[in-house]
Amino acid sequence: MATTTVSSVSLSLNDRITAGILALLIGSFLVFGAGLANSAVLHDTAHDVRHSYGFPCH
Amino acid sequence: MIVKTLLAALVAGLIAGVFTTVAQSARVVPIILHAEEYEAKEPATEQPAATEGQQHSSLEQPATIGDILAAFSPITPAYAHEGEHEDEGGIMFGMSRFSGTLLANLVTGTGFSLLLTGISLLIGYPITLRNGVLWGACGWLAIHMLPAVGLPPELPGFPAADLHDRQIWWVATVLLSGAGLYLLVLRPEILAKIAGLAALAAPHIYGAPQPADISSPVPAVLGAEFAVAALATALASWIVLGLVSGYINDRFLKSA
Repeated sequence: MATTTVSSVSLSLNDRITAGILALLIGSFLVFGAGLANSAVLHDTAHDVRHSYGFPCH
Repeated sequence: MIVKTLLAALVAGLIAGVFTTVAQSARVVPIILHAEEYEAKEPATEQPAATEGQQHSSLEQPATIGDILAAFSPITPAYAHEGEHEDEGGIMFGMSRFSGTLLANLVTGTGFSLLLTGISLLIGYPITLRNGVLWGACGWLAIHMLPAVGLPPELPGFPAADLHDRQIWWVATVLLSGAGLYLLVLRPEILAKIAGLAALAAPHIYGAPQPADISSPVPAVLGAEFAVAALATALASWIVLGLVSGYINDRFLKSA
């Protein structure tokens, strides 16, 4: 942990790919849930945010 | 290390989410509320569940059962109705509209932040304080500005094409724009840059799904104000997100 950076310098390629894919998966899940999911409760809670961000919804 | 990187993205996303909520309440949310006054004037679009009791057709039974259940339930009505039928929503856990917006912004901000970190890790190009603004601006271009060329941010009550078609076009545009920006900005080859431009242009040449009838009860001036305010607010949020991500990466991940 002495010389860790986000770049490829010390995070091994494998770790980088794993972390990257993990981040993309969780990130897409969150954005999908808040922005695009077709649930009435999620829609109403995130209503103003969906409009503000221009997510296509209702 | 993986956990630490993801944690950094999480913190940056939460900070950006709080900022976004404040920024949105300055201009965007007031315009949405204003537009809803016009939307409500339109006859027979959606009847709010609060006006039940006039006629009890079988169609309305689920709402009535839901109301009775809600009366006996410690769970708030919004929560109890989840998934019962399409028209009824209500804000999660009975929160206020503002808390709902805050929660959604925290979730969305964290999501955006994780996406940015994920891309940065996969292409091996770290987010720093120096380039954070550019990362943010590219995120804004890919997720908001470029899709908005075909599907501008819409107010409640605006006409729109089929939701499913729009969502597919939107997701495709976001993905193509992201890939296009990567090819255009980070690849030195001239061919890659040409391919990048082609990827950016492709969804717009194909064309976004448009509504057949564009008449709307909401004044056009309000829509114009909203589109600009929404995009500007999103840009501000993304720049904050990029800067905070870069700062956290520089400060806590580089020499931890």
